[in-house]
Amino acid sequence: MIDILSYGCMGIGLLFWFWGTFPLVGKRSVLFKLHSLSVSDTLGSMSIVVGLLLKIPSEWPLLVLALISLAIWNTVLGYVLAYCSSSGNEISEVGDRSEYSAGEYGVSEYGTGGYE
Amino acid sequence: MNIVLIAMILALLIPIYEAWQDDDVWQKMLAFASIATKTSIMILIVSILRDDWMIGVVGVIILSVGNAALMLLAHVIKRLNDVSRGGL
Repeated sequence: MIDILSYGCMGIGLLFWFWGTFPLVGKRSVLFKLHSLSVSDTLGSMSIVVGLLLKIPSEWPLLVLALISLAIWNTVLGYVLAYCSSSGNEISEVGDRSEYSAGEYGVSEYGTGGYE
Repeated sequence: MNIVLIAMILALLIPIYEAWQDDDVWQKMLAFASIATKTSIMILIVSILRDDWMIGVVGVIILSVGNAALMLLAHVIKRLNDVSRGGL
């Protein structure tokens, strides 16, 4: 019974992974992909770790540490990526900065933050 | 468990392909963020399979440090975009 439950959790985690990763290859914007990716990676990984916890309860300190760091780090990483990738758009909407030319690097050199 | 690991490797190939084929730096950052998380979970699975704590601790450390480094890199790229766009 425990085995079925743990493999079930891992199966759900894998489903989440594939569900969140497939849109990555498409042509959608950064924020759309980031949303599905951070949700699926965090929840999928957590259900895989819960599956492991069910399978081998003796390793609970390590797996609980993994669960906590997953919950914190993935969520904050998703937020930081969303903030950094979209902050460029607000600046360019503020006003024309024609006196500051893009310089030899050019904006496209470092990506436009999904703002083609 | 080996089947689970093989399925995870397949799931890992998708962001690797995405990081390879996309040119926008933020799409690549997304792909690398996904790779970091998936890799560290796979390390945890391998550590459970081999019943070796140390590999598991390495997996958790990679999870934390990998994501932290990606956050730092995101801020650096944002600053570069700001400087190249408006001299801020």
